[in-house]
Amino acid sequence: MKKTQRTAGTDASWKNPVPGQVRVYVWEWPVRFSHWVMVITIISLSITGYYMHAPYVVARGRTAYVMGTMRFIHLVSGFAFMAAILIRMYWFLFANRWSRWNQYIPTTRKRLANLVAVGKYYAFMAWSPVRYIGHNPMAGAAYAVVYAMALVEILTGLVLFSQIVGSRVLLFLVGWIPRFIDIQWIREIHFFIMFGFWMFFIHHIYTAILVSVEEENGLMDSIFSGYKFVPKAELLRDPAVEEMRPDGEAAPVTSDLEQEKHTVA
Amino acid sequence: MNALPEIELRSALEARGISRRQFVKFCSTMVATLALPPRYLHAVVKALDQTTRPVLVWLEFQDCAGNSESMLRSGYPSVGDFVLELLSWEYHELIMAGAGKRAEETLERVMRDHKGEYIAVIEGSIPMAEDGVHCTIGGKTALDIATRVCSNAAINIAVGACAWDGGIVRASPNPTGAVGLAEAVPGIKNLVNLGGCPHNPANTAAVLVHYLTFHDLPALDQYHRPLFAYGDIIHDQCERRAHYDAGRYVEEWGDEGHRKGWCLYKMGCKGPEATYNCPTVRWNEGTSWPVKAGHGCIACASPRFWDTKSPFYDRLPKVPGFGVDVLAEEIGWGGTAAVGIAMLAQVAGNIVRDKTRAKNVRAEENPPPDLNAGGSA
Repeated sequence: MKKTQRTAGTDASWKNPVPGQVRVYVWEWPVRFSHWVMVITIISLSITGYYMHAPYVVARGRTAYVMGTMRFIHLVSGFAFMAAILIRMYWFLFANRWSRWNQYIPTTRKRLANLVAVGKYYAFMAWSPVRYIGHNPMAGAAYAVVYAMALVEILTGLVLFSQIVGSRVLLFLVGWIPRFIDIQWIREIHFFIMFGFWMFFIHHIYTAILVSVEEENGLMDSIFSGYKFVPKAELLRDPAVEEMRPDGEAAPVTSDLEQEKHTVA
Repeated sequence: MNALPEIELRSALEARGISRRQFVKFCSTMVATLALPPRYLHAVVKALDQTTRPVLVWLEFQDCAGNSESMLRSGYPSVGDFVLELLSWEYHELIMAGAGKRAEETLERVMRDHKGEYIAVIEGSIPMAEDGVHCTIGGKTALDIATRVCSNAAINIAVGACAWDGGIVRASPNPTGAVGLAEAVPGIKNLVNLGGCPHNPANTAAVLVHYLTFHDLPALDQYHRPLFAYGDIIHDQCERRAHYDAGRYVEEWGDEGHRKGWCLYKMGCKGPEATYNCPTVRWNEGTSWPVKAGHGCIACASPRFWDTKSPFYDRLPKVPGFGVDVLAEEIGWGGTAAVGIAMLAQVAGNIVRDKTRAKNVRAEENPPPDLNAGGSA
């Protein structure tokens, strides 16, 4: 990979950016919290869910309770996953400009154009990536697909859960679904989407490392701390702001006040 | 045609040598099957004592007569008692002595003399393609007969998967356009569907007893199936459930686990998605049922089970559009591996790009991220 061009000063740390850089609070706590809950639950749901599909551990001993335990963990993780998705759904509406819903679903022509530009970079048709503080349009679109998968997974999971608990509320909400799609196909979809998450998992870690190396703005740290380090000019020329203006030809100028808001002295 | 003799059930049973004890035993079995509290036993005994023998007609359309066979092997009471004593079976193609015109006349007489009183049992699916010519009896199509008989009956009981939702006859590709009774005769009143391949005669008897006692149908679900028989998941009532929870599974037919009676989940048992009272009522006088006998459940009492629950020996359906016998699991693993390989290719490509970028891009087109770029803003 390429050599690091930017060197930090001797006293640089995660609280003290290099001169000329600003520390931007990009990922607010609901974003980070829901992210890590999703990571943990997707892993535990995959392990237990795969076991429930094809039990790969043979129980020994007379007091074994392997499948029972797996199902318990699966259900608890499922509800934690649902909670995380709900928090994130709520935050789509009230988050800062880097994690609001329009960062995931491209609504303006400009963002669509940039989506193509990012695609060209990945297809080795461009030399450098488009630099974003938040998500680039392609990453955002990929996450939108992942959230759609999560919603299907939650819905199918609730249908399967309603079959064993028989709760009136749950049956009212999802009981009509098995009349149109047989329960075996609900199960198949629920199982199949798990692989979608695995594919995304590989892709996600790879691109996080790639962008982290290419852009050198502390992307990997940011999902823990919430902060990214970006050159001042980049904050003022954030493509995410540009894209929100359908007619905007000129680069928008953010006020000093907004800049201060995102900067910790 | 002479009218039917009105005989009280009690005297008819006595004439057949069925003891009071046997009769009450039958009633208590029915109360248990219906999941009624024991205090209802008296009501059931009293109602059946006082009832005159209800008239029953049994129609067969596109079927294998498996449900009739199942009824003939009924243990409570034995079929001889059932046919001759509890009910007056006026028409049943498989077992009646009459044939041809005489038999058809009997059906007409029941519809005329007992309009709105008789019980109609339907077995087999009804073909709808090409005006229903695929199944005709005495020159009349199954649809015609079903419409006439069922609209004049007190209650209609569709026994077996075929009469309920078309069953194997309706399974893809369904050349005769077969459908179940409810679809063939829309708006049919007092319908009870007793799915299953075949239906369990204990449930049919219980529905009849419930009707004779309370003059009403038992509580039904959204498919018009009685809840006492179709309200619970087989998996939750299964005697092998403890092995499922523990994690002990049959891996192949005849292995150690199979001999020890472990769970058949990995052999494609559909118990977790099937509802029926098979594990509690069982078959052949409560002797056994498929899972107890060592074969996985095929969910024969579930809607459209031939299409939706197959393959019977695999956990999940085959994925369409990927040729024969491709599992979701194989596609999933393949896709995951493909993404992994694509990512490795990306790594290689990026190394090459980073090495060659400086040579190909002029400095002004690719400004290095300058630390002081923000200074002028």
